[in-house]
Amino acid sequence: MEQLLTANVASSMYWLGRYLQRLEGTLYEINKAYDLIIDVDRKAGTALYKKFNIDLKYVSAMDFLHKAIRGKHPANLGEMMLQARENAIISRAYIDSIAFGEIIALNNMFQTLQTKRSHIDCNDLDKALSLILIIWGAHAHRGHRRSSDYFFKLGKLVEEVDLRLRLGKEKAMTELILKEINAAIQILNPDLDIFENCPEEYIEEIPYSIVECIYATIDKLIIEE
Amino acid sequence: MLEKSTKLHKKFWDIFAQQDRHKIDEFQRYMDKFAVNFNLYKDGNFIEQSLPFDVIPRIIPKKEFNKIEKGLIQRVTALNLFLEDLYTDAKIVKDGVIPKEFIESASGFLKEFVGFSPSKKVRTHINGIDLVKDSSDDEWVILEDNLRVPSGASYPLSIRDTYRKIYPDFFENLKIEPIKNYPKIITDAMEYVNTGGINVVLTPGRFNSAYYEHSYLAQEIGAQLVRAHELVVIDKKVYFKNYNGKKIRVGAIYKRLDDEFLDPKFFNPDSLIGVPGLVEAYLAGNVALLNAIGNGVSDDKGIYYFVPKMIEYYLNEKPILKNAPTYLPYFKEDMDYVMDNMEKLVIKDVAEAGGYGVLFGHSLTAIQIKDLKATIKAEPRRFIAQELIEFYDEKCYLDRKLQDRKADFRAYVVMGEEVKVWNCGLTRYALQEGNYLVNSSQGGGFKDTWVMEL
Repeated sequence: MEQLLTANVASSMYWLGRYLQRLEGTLYEINKAYDLIIDVDRKAGTALYKKFNIDLKYVSAMDFLHKAIRGKHPANLGEMMLQARENAIISRAYIDSIAFGEIIALNNMFQTLQTKRSHIDCNDLDKALSLILIIWGAHAHRGHRRSSDYFFKLGKLVEEVDLRLRLGKEKAMTELILKEINAAIQILNPDLDIFENCPEEYIEEIPYSIVECIYATIDKLIIEE
Repeated sequence: MLEKSTKLHKKFWDIFAQQDRHKIDEFQRYMDKFAVNFNLYKDGNFIEQSLPFDVIPRIIPKKEFNKIEKGLIQRVTALNLFLEDLYTDAKIVKDGVIPKEFIESASGFLKEFVGFSPSKKVRTHINGIDLVKDSSDDEWVILEDNLRVPSGASYPLSIRDTYRKIYPDFFENLKIEPIKNYPKIITDAMEYVNTGGINVVLTPGRFNSAYYEHSYLAQEIGAQLVRAHELVVIDKKVYFKNYNGKKIRVGAIYKRLDDEFLDPKFFNPDSLIGVPGLVEAYLAGNVALLNAIGNGVSDDKGIYYFVPKMIEYYLNEKPILKNAPTYLPYFKEDMDYVMDNMEKLVIKDVAEAGGYGVLFGHSLTAIQIKDLKATIKAEPRRFIAQELIEFYDEKCYLDRKLQDRKADFRAYVVMGEEVKVWNCGLTRYALQEGNYLVNSSQGGGFKDTWVMEL
């Protein structure tokens, strides 16, 4: 029997997956840029944040780290985590309890890092990435996958595609993830297909517009009345 | 004053002495990590916070609990019979046991529901009965009946698991009654009255003070947690709206909101947290509501006065558990007593709950007493007065030292095919020394309750 789920919970699971993946993806990119800023490319951080449509200014690698994590911009990691926590609280009955606890811990960590007096270094990024791995792991270890798990997975994959397209990453892998997204959607509703109603050129070129096709399909998947 | 220590207490303290007390901090970490919250609104702001927890459990010997259990089963059975009678034949009124005008003036009495009998005639499905142990005679005394939306069971349930992880020695070496059966008791009660369909828990939403509990219980009892707009009433039947647009019939709703907000078409038209048409579906017998609409009449502190009489009237038995000595200023003799003895009495507004509307005569100034007397004379039905019960303190480990605090006990009594008392409950303690108000909404904390035998 299919799992019963309100649209609110389905949507929260999806967004939880998205925010966690956004956090993870951003942390990896911050880590890479930080390393480049030190002695390879002083402008690596600026270039990264330009892809997020953010004009980020910094004077050193450490300053970049601070501004990336707690700067007042739309990619502020504390805000990202607050959103993840909110979605986790709404859908907690469907989340592995260890994963839920780590989401709260991760949020607490980022809220602490938002305070001006707190020191930030790369260890914090490593700690955060470890917690995210625990969350993915704790959630993935459940034997029987339910609809709520697929919404979580869907959110993660959609965010992955979004980030890859923003950063202009390798096309072949993006295509694979798109297929995975379609498979998850079809498990949830066999009548839906992201490629079916998507203009051909979107698929072939994989420009950013394919994300619009995914969103349109998800709107049909989660019916909010 | 503390209760006389028993052999059970000694066993507890012997083990406690051997434990690493630094581990106590782990309880708070657990509560924070798993957001075991009781939220508050303060100065218009929503504050998420955990309920203060104390590690020293209340210990109730099994033999003593058995008596409480019998008394609670008797009381809830009588209260259910009372509500069913009141909303159908009202024999208890016709026979003069409770004055008619006393019922009609109860804010929780909903005359629109007279003549309606809910599924299986069960009205008091999930009940929280507040008791204290009187230090003058060692007897348990009922302070309040909560037959509308009693909350709190999730907190001991959550913390017991943590207790077992942090301090397993207690559970290995003491005979402590297990408590994991609570969700099953609730599920059984829901299934018993279910009119055909799924079970749901109806929450006002994410920003309700007890949202954690709603979410926790829904998960534990295997019901869907829903907000009002996730249900829809079609042809007097209630449906759950699934994410894919399918509508699934609902047979029982564990509602976690007050009657007045339940259905904007029937009650408060401004309610945004109610389900339009729900009352119609309920009155058509197409859905069970836990607890029944109209139970508020029995939460009225004035009606509480009559519960011992109900037990005698309906069951022809003597009450096993007694009420606190209570006076109704509505009756002249009681009014005279209240006026002459206000300084030593506790005055309660009958329609309030959560520790609100409670005044202790001994802490009032002469002017306040004068004003209160005038108010009571003008509105005698609005108040009850009770003798101040010197109930026992419980030992609490606060600020890294043992301290005594007043503590009550909320027992959970569930009625389905039969009436069951959960082998645990919510022991609430006052944060300040000497304070008699232990309610969570008044800043009180909670402890685990261990029903034990030697």
